[in-house]
Amino acid sequence: MSTFFLDLVEQTDEARRAFETSSNVLDIVANGLSLERYRKLLLELYHVVWHFNPTCAAAACRITDRHRHVRYFLYDHMNEEKGHEEWVLNDLQVVGVSPETARAYLPTLVMLGLNGYNYWSADRRHPCSVLGMIYTLEVVASVYGGQMTAAISDSLLLEGDRGISFISSHATMDAEHMAELRVVLNQVADEEAKTAIIESTVFNFHQFGKVLELV
Amino acid sequence: MNEVVNGLLPSVLSRPYRYVKLDWNGEFSMLTVRMGVRPIQCYSLAAMAELQQVFNDISSNPKLVRHFVMASDVQGVFNFGGDLSLFVLLVRAHDLDSLRLYARRCIDLVWWWENAANVGVHTTALVQGDALGGGLESALLHHTVICERGAQAGFPEVLFNLFPGMGGWNLAIRRGGFNVANDLILSGQIYTADQLFRRGLVDIVVEDGEAPAALEQMVRAMEPRFRGTMAALQARRIAAPISHESLQTIVDHWAVTAISLTTRDMRLMERLARAQVRKVGGANEGAVEEIKRMELDTAWGFERTGLSEWSTLE
Repeated sequence: MSTFFLDLVEQTDEARRAFETSSNVLDIVANGLSLERYRKLLLELYHVVWHFNPTCAAAACRITDRHRHVRYFLYDHMNEEKGHEEWVLNDLQVVGVSPETARAYLPTLVMLGLNGYNYWSADRRHPCSVLGMIYTLEVVASVYGGQMTAAISDSLLLEGDRGISFISSHATMDAEHMAELRVVLNQVADEEAKTAIIESTVFNFHQFGKVLELV
Repeated sequence: MNEVVNGLLPSVLSRPYRYVKLDWNGEFSMLTVRMGVRPIQCYSLAAMAELQQVFNDISSNPKLVRHFVMASDVQGVFNFGGDLSLFVLLVRAHDLDSLRLYARRCIDLVWWWENAANVGVHTTALVQGDALGGGLESALLHHTVICERGAQAGFPEVLFNLFPGMGGWNLAIRRGGFNVANDLILSGQIYTADQLFRRGLVDIVVEDGEAPAALEQMVRAMEPRFRGTMAALQARRIAAPISHESLQTIVDHWAVTAISLTTRDMRLMERLARAQVRKVGGANEGAVEEIKRMELDTAWGFERTGLSEWSTLE
């Protein structure tokens, strides 16, 4: 019998593959990034990380007791992700961008759209939709993060984890997160919640791909 | 009544597809399926669903299709098998059930191919580019395998601690015998078209670009003895059977093995995927060359020094 996790994987497979096979993602995986483009990527990622916990918090406070397991999962997840924006800032510093400059950076409209959608969806669509955002980010990190890290590290001649600690560590860490997320997703029984999670996943893959196109 | 106009698909086969292109040859009742999953040709979930639909349509319309031809619409690649990113995703999620379900869907396709002779369909693989893993398994499933000389093929799975689970053992043993299957699967080595031919794994080797002509020649020669050939192929299945139970048991074992892949194993898979992405982007070398480097590394580097590029990927 199919589980919701598998349904989600299947119903968003086209969106995942569209992300994976977009020319910019292929180019990053194959050739890495120039210093300038890597700085831009980290500056954009800073806004993903910075808004991650507030989005999860917005969702958590709207989730009813029926989905309390999702709420507890979000509490734990927020705790784990707390402070990770500092990792991005550290990497930025290694590649020559000060924390002040990073904090003052205005994200692209596409990134604003991504964060805006995730807040709106948690607030108005369905709070469980936040699981779609989390699923997308963890697929990007754990499935593609390793390849991207290797390519970026090669292209910039970075040593060890210097300058790539954020992407590199999430590529490994999110591997465990994915297993935990699967368990939570398989406990979602509500059809409205499932539809919202699928929609959010498709949108997040699409929009994240667009962000990478602008880097 | 179905149209049998050359080039114009019979209406019962005319569906809108994204990943497969269908060509119809009315003279021979020959359906050619060209798979085109870009940029990396593999058995993605969507492509598999489309292929299953084609198979269902063929089975629902007996005697319409006499020849089924599997070809690639991607230059230089027949098929690279499973969707590596999907595997990594499911393995990372420790999702044994989903891996099993994916694998069983593959077996559903395998089973149609295996039983094609029983519905009066002769199958041919037109291998005009590299075939790896599940791509090679799907080629070996056909009654006839026509391979162009520049194509290379192999089962690299053992290099990242996996094995070909979707009929690879059954098919390699049936075509080449036990020793050939052992070499092919346990070495992880890549073979040229001529090497595959010498081992009985492919039936016809032709120069690059000549596979379509060889196909037409073969089909034309088969026409007067088509019924006898099909009866003989059905008898061949009885003589050297592959059971659904065996395929299913092996594929379940494959799923259990896949779920225990380590980070290092998955990094190697990613390395292959990355090499192929580079090739798509214009580099000279792709996954096949990367596999050869891995073989050399295993054979020389590690034995001499205890260190290798791959062993540092923990």
